[in-house]
This record gives sequence, C-alpha cells and structure tokens, in this order.
Amino acid sequence: MIDGGAGMIVAQWPLALATLLFAAGLWLLLPRGGRSGRQAGTGLVAAGLALLTLLVHFGLTFYRNGPSPQWKFAGPLLGSWAEDVVFLALAALTVGSAVCTVTFRSPVYCAIWFALTLLGVGGLFMYQGSQFLGVATVVVYAGAILVTFLFVLMLAQPEGHAFYDRVSWEAALSAFAGAVMVGVLTMALSQAMQPSQVAEGQPTPRFWLETDQPVDRAAGVLNPEHVASLGGRLFSTHLIAIEVAGTLLLVALVGAVAIVSSTRRLDHPARSVGGRAHG
Amino acid sequence: METVVVALVKIALMIGGLMTAAAYLVLLERWIAAWTQDRVGPNRVGIPLTKFKLFGLGQPLADGLKFIFKEENTPAQVDRGLFTIAPIVILTAALAIFAAIPFGSVLPKDLGIEGVEQPIQLCVAPAFDVGIIYVFALSSIAVYGVILGGWASNSKYSFLGGLRSSAQLIAYELPLGLGLLGVVLMSGSLRLENVIDQQASTGVWNMFLQPIGFVTFVVAAFAEAARLPFDLPECEQELVGGYHTEYAGMRLLMFLIAEFLHMVTAAFLIVILFFGGWHFWGLTGSSKDEVTWFEAIMRVLVLQGKVLAVIVFFMLARWSWPRFRFDQLMDLAWKVMLPLGLVNLAAVAVLVEFGWDKAENKLGFSPVWAMAAMWGIAIVAWTIAAIFTPLQTDNRPRLEAISE
Repeated sequence: MIDGGAGMIVAQWPLALATLLFAAGLWLLLPRGGRSGRQAGTGLVAAGLALLTLLVHFGLTFYRNGPSPQWKFAGPLLGSWAEDVVFLALAALTVGSAVCTVTFRSPVYCAIWFALTLLGVGGLFMYQGSQFLGVATVVVYAGAILVTFLFVLMLAQPEGHAFYDRVSWEAALSAFAGAVMVGVLTMALSQAMQPSQVAEGQPTPRFWLETDQPVDRAAGVLNPEHVASLGGRLFSTHLIAIEVAGTLLLVALVGAVAIVSSTRRLDHPARSVGGRAHG
Repeated sequence: METVVVALVKIALMIGGLMTAAAYLVLLERWIAAWTQDRVGPNRVGIPLTKFKLFGLGQPLADGLKFIFKEENTPAQVDRGLFTIAPIVILTAALAIFAAIPFGSVLPKDLGIEGVEQPIQLCVAPAFDVGIIYVFALSSIAVYGVILGGWASNSKYSFLGGLRSSAQLIAYELPLGLGLLGVVLMSGSLRLENVIDQQASTGVWNMFLQPIGFVTFVVAAFAEAARLPFDLPECEQELVGGYHTEYAGMRLLMFLIAEFLHMVTAAFLIVILFFGGWHFWGLTGSSKDEVTWFEAIMRVLVLQGKVLAVIVFFMLARWSWPRFRFDQLMDLAWKVMLPLGLVNLAAVAVLVEFGWDKAENKLGFSPVWAMAAMWGIAIVAWTIAAIFTPLQTDNRPRLEAISE
C-alpha cells in the first residue's frame, strides 16, 4: 500500500533499463539482412516489455521521503493480476502485434499484424468503457483503411517482395525512436496513475474507474447512455471542429469525383455507347 | 457470478442453435431449390440400417460426416499461415456478431433462480450501447477472411475472386449503413433492443415508414451476405470459382457456414430493424419489461418465425433471379443504392427534426400522413432512378470491349 504520494516519482533507472532492453531487442529484430540475432532480439524485447509491465502494473516507485532514497513496490496499481487478466491479455496482444508489425518482412503480414494491433486497441477502448471509440476504431481503421492498404500491397507486388521492402533502413534510429516513445509513454502513464491522495489502509483505486472529476464522470465513458452523451458533447462543445471536419471531407469527396470523372472522359470516350445495364 | 453463468448459457444457446440452423438451412435450401426447379431434392437419408427415411432429415448429419472425413488438402504453393487463418477469421467474425443480436425480448421475473433478480434479457450482450455499429464492425472484419483466403491461395483465380468479392463487400457497406441510419435516426438509439421497443410501442413497423430505406437495406444485405443475385464471390458456373477455390474439407466448410451465418445475420437485422422484431399486433404485447410467460414465448417464436420467413425469401430469390455482372453490381451500388439511401436519410431527418410523432408536433402531421409522405417520396425517387438509369437486361458482350 502507498503511504503518502508527495515525493513519489517513477523509478527512472528501471525505466531507462527497460527502454534500453526494448531498443536493443527491436534493433536486433528489425529485418536488416541475415536471420542471426532474431531469437536474442525476441528475448530482449520480451524482457524489456516485462520490466515495463512491472513498472506500470506494480508501480515500482522510488521514494525520496527520508534522508536516504529507497526502492519500493507501490503494490499493483491496476488491481490484481487475476482481475485484470482481460486487460493484460489485450495489452499483450496490442504491444506484441505492434512489434510484429514493424519486424516482419512481408508487407502483407505486417498489414495483418497491424490489423491485429488495431483490434487490440479497440478491445482496450471497450475495456475502459469507451464503447463507441472501440467500435469506431475497428470500423474505420481495421475495416476500411487497412483493407485498402491490403489491396494496394497485394496488387503492387504480385511477383514477390522487392528488396527495398525486405530490409529496414536506419534500423538503429527507428529502434531508438520507438523505444524512446515507449519509455516516455510509460513514464507519463505511470505518473498519471499515481493516486495522489490515498488514505492508509484503503485499497488502491483503479485509475480508470476512480477519477476525481465529477464532470468527467457525468458525461464520461461509464455513462449508460454512452452514445447519446457523446453526441451531445460533439454537437455542443465541439460543434465548430465537427463542422470544419465535415466540410473538409465534403471537399475531398467532391475533389475525388471531379478527378475520376475528368480521367474517365479522357480515357474512355466511347464508353457510354454500348449497353450499360441495370437489373 | 450469476451474470457470467447466464451469459454462458446464452452463448451456448446461441452457438448451438446457429450451428444446427446452418446445417439444416442447407437442407432447406436444397428442398426449396428442388421445389423451385421441379425436381427431387434430398429426401432419403434417415436412420441408418433401417428403412425410416424421415423426409431426408439425416442429410445434414451425413454431409457433416462427409466433410469431417474429407482430406485436408493444402496445396503446395500456398502461404500456409494465412491460408489456415482465413476461414477461422471469417467464421469467428460471423459468430461474434450474434453477441449483440437479441433472440427474444425478456424472460418474466418469476423464474425462481437463486440470485437472479432482474428479468433476463434474451441477448448475449444486452444494453450494449453501440450494438448496431458493433455488428457493422464485425461484418467489415469478415472482409479479411475473403481477401486473405484469396491471396494466401497463391492462385490467380482465387486472388481475383478475393479482390472482386472484397470490392463488392466494401462497396455495399455504404448503402447498408445508409439504410441503417434512417432507422437509427427514427428510434434515436444504436441499441437493437431499443429499435424493437420503439416499433412495438408505436405499433408501426419501420418497413411501412421507410420504404426506400427498407429497399436499400435489403438489397445491400443481399450483397453483403453474397447471395444471388450478388453471389459473385462464389459463382461456380461463370468464373471458375471464388476466393475459396483452393480450399477443401473442414476449411471450406467453415467458409460455407460463415456464408450461411451472414444470411442469418442479415435476416435478423432486416426483421429487427424493419419488421418490428418480436412485435406482432395483438399477440405479444408491447411492454418493454413486464411480460407474462405466454408473451415471452410468443415473442421468441414470432421473432424466429419472421427470421425464417425472410430466410425463405432469400432462398427463393436465389433460385429465381439471374446473377449480376460485376460492372452492373458496382453501378447499382454507387449510382442507385447510394443516392436512394441519401434520399431516405434526408426525408427521415426532416420528419424527425419536426417531431412528427411527438406532442410538440410542428408539422401538424399524424404518423399516417408521415407514412404517406414517405411512400410519396419513395415513388418519386424510384421514378427518377428509373428514368435516369433505364432497366436493360442486355448481358451480351459490349461492342467497344470487343473492338478494343
């Protein structure tokens, strides 16, 4: 249990170590030519992710209360392992398939792994009670955009994969950038999860259920009239943004129609002569 | 704990019922095909080693056994991982859709089960606030099964079949969504249960209120379920076969079951959205939560009966209509169905905005006049569509395609 949160910060050395492990593993895993090092890379990535999970899940924290700083486990922040097995499975699915997305050689497989990542993200949204976002992620990204990707990938390389697609360029830089992003996200996440004022002996609050802002809860994700409240917010507070986005999409639509109709006129002057039929 | 048990029982009911239904719908389809074409359908397989034929009701069991003992043939050149995953993806998506679909309304409170206080909702995930979009999301995941099956087969026929099928499925999602949107606007909710409740409380089914939306939705649902006249994904006679040309045995069976389940989903959606769900005048009552046992059972029977009727309509359509050509299919989706859906959406939006069924009715309409107005709009829309895209059934090869 946590005894006072004033001086608590995220443990920085374990975080740095985890990020470093993750970066090294990712660097080994990225396709750069030979097959050597991939197993080691898998192990390193797994170790780094496990350490990050420990940081996030158990809140491995660093106390500066007394004269001598001390390490301490703050206790499970998300609840217990057993309670959160769905969350952990979804998180593992998401992160694991994200790693696979960047490390596989075949672009088609990468796209499939990316689809799995998006499904995991949708599941995570649903798990936190944000039903609309979860389902919309699946509809828009996994259902529409990624299928278009797949079309292009499958049609563009019928003869097998080109050399430039089989090799990752700037492997070190990309591994470094990815690892830094994961580290920063973890730090931000674990700081956001630190319960600021928790009395002694109380169970640790689950951070997505116990927000201390009543306004957010009233209109927020746990509302049973979820879509209605979301729509109310979108069309009152964010009306201008919605209108601008709608206008932008309309302009894009009109532009697409204009482009298509002008090219068709050039290419197929006699197209409308024959029997164009509807049933 | 009780909720978990209740949910598991519902899932078991749902999956068992659906799998059996898929098997026996195949038999029904073959009977209807035989009846339509005036020939003899399957009527022999009964109890083994006896002379009891049972009208051929043993046929699905025999088919299942045959599929189980068939060789799992995997061609040498395929991409093994995706080749195996594709049927699993499509079947999983098809089954998961039913989590949000109610198969009745509620059970009465006097169940006598310990710990169950609330009336039990006959839906695996009741009060799921985005049920309709969830159904939509999972049917867009089913495209993956088609496109992966086609690509992983590493055969030109399968690949082209996969691209063709997924293009069709994606194109018809738009009119499907537009047909849905009219209903959603009218009921003001994305929950399937609320859509039914709204129709039950007013007693006016959406089919009478939104004729254009109904037609748009039904045509798009036919295409999404890949049934004739839109069964280009399969199309044995003309195009060698579709995305599952290279499949055999249980994997092929999974594709076929998923196809039948899509039809069942489409029938459920048509009934729930446009035919009032479990509601039938004078038979099922219209209260949302208070039911007697008689009403509860009648509701389930009425819903299943309506679904069966829609499925029979699907099957009759299959054996009576010719298939569309691919360009006709796309023209229909983008030039006819999409504008019709937009017309419907605009008309419904106007009616809802002016509160035609509320107390503060700004139009001075009664629902009857609103209905008449919708039918008038429908007739005008069909006339316009007919004038601008006249009906031609000329399937001869086009001249300019030959001369080039």
